[in-house]
Amino acid sequence: MPALNPVEKFRHEALLYSGWAEFVAGTVPFIREGVKAGEPVLVVESVDKIEMLRIALGDETDAVLFANMAEVGSNPARIIPAWHEFVSRHAGTGRRMRGIGEPIWKERSADELIECQRHESLLNVAFGHGEPWWLLCPYDTEKLDAAVIDEARRSHEFITEGSEARRSEIFRGLEASGAPFDVPLPDRGTSVGEIAFGVDGLGSVRSLVARHANAAGLHRERVEELMTAVNEVATNSVRHGGGGGSLRIWQEHVALVCEIRDAGRFNDPLADRQRPSPVHSAPRGLWVANQLCDLVQIRNFANGTVIRLHMRRLPTHRLSVVSDAQDYTPLN
Amino acid sequence: MGVADIWLDFWTGKGPGIDELADAAIRGGRIYADKQLVVTRTLEPYGLCFSGEIDITNSKAVPQALSLAFVRNGDMHLDVSGLIFCDISGIRSFVDAAEAMDEGHLLLHGLPPLLQKVMTVTGWSDMKSLVICHCAAVGR
Repeated sequence: MPALNPVEKFRHEALLYSGWAEFVAGTVPFIREGVKAGEPVLVVESVDKIEMLRIALGDETDAVLFANMAEVGSNPARIIPAWHEFVSRHAGTGRRMRGIGEPIWKERSADELIECQRHESLLNVAFGHGEPWWLLCPYDTEKLDAAVIDEARRSHEFITEGSEARRSEIFRGLEASGAPFDVPLPDRGTSVGEIAFGVDGLGSVRSLVARHANAAGLHRERVEELMTAVNEVATNSVRHGGGGGSLRIWQEHVALVCEIRDAGRFNDPLADRQRPSPVHSAPRGLWVANQLCDLVQIRNFANGTVIRLHMRRLPTHRLSVVSDAQDYTPLN
Repeated sequence: MGVADIWLDFWTGKGPGIDELADAAIRGGRIYADKQLVVTRTLEPYGLCFSGEIDITNSKAVPQALSLAFVRNGDMHLDVSGLIFCDISGIRSFVDAAEAMDEGHLLLHGLPPLLQKVMTVTGWSDMKSLVICHCAAVGR
């Protein structure tokens, strides 16, 4: 694999591969070179691929951190905070860092996919002006649609295909990566509950969420988490979104979805995925919503903000450590 | 901190004022109530007991209630086992009170698991002056 030049800034690169052999050929030399240079390396992949990489790396496995993408990135908005923790842990040591992260796989739902693609763009915003590190994002060209690969060429500055690494000609650039996200949200399901709310209506909002979450069969703990997330988003609507908004609830195949609309607009693309400082009075509502819900979709349209909170009816994986060689936990 | 200490604090001007103490005695220790939240004073251990729901409509009452019971150098116990709901700004008020303490601790008793989780994901559970007690709820 050529062009393994040292990076002086953040390098966001997509690795287009087809089949296991190409995956190994694209990732193992990348990891080895990092290990050889004494660079911290974190691989966030599926359990299967982690096992394969461990076998391929042999003794070098001990120098590599691994985390399960199905857990870290179950909600894609939790991936940037995990990378941020990795990078800030090693920042200032003078060493570059390397990462491998594959957030998109065939089984991702349509909503998850679009949020993963947004995540890939936001990585440029989150790290574009920061520490020098190299993130390689494998894309399975055999299993993923051509449109997904096209989008990878727009969200990554560099593309490795076969043995060739080069600049992507259609990379959208740093500024456009953080532009307000206004991709339309498709209509799905019929509302089972609907309510308009103002400052005195949040109690009714919580009751409505609790009633439908219970009816949908969500576990009690998840009902409370969804209620808290919706309450925080609705509180934002009251405070910053014109004094109120509207809530709509419906059921989808695997999840209950709560949609909050208001007339407010905000322009911080990382508002929901920057870990708030404990001693700072920064807003935390969207951060907490992402930690509690399975998927959070935020859209900034010309006439206001729409936020959808998804809560799966089946229990989801929680974040945990995969590597037993290191005590690295991407998130608590 | 016992009742005697409270009165000592009163006489030395560190603790609650005579009006608050008299008020508390007359109203059975209740220092705040609205249609969804009741806050009562507790003396053994010293602090407050919160029951009901805290949201945007009454979250400003939380720091006010806390200031009535605030002790800078002693421990303040909050029984929150009766909190059915508490938004982030409500939790933030507890955190702010803990931050303002010099030597003492703010001890949260009976913290519901959801609030514990919210405090973990916001990083507030790591504060030194804030202690999450896993013992049984007190002062009820």
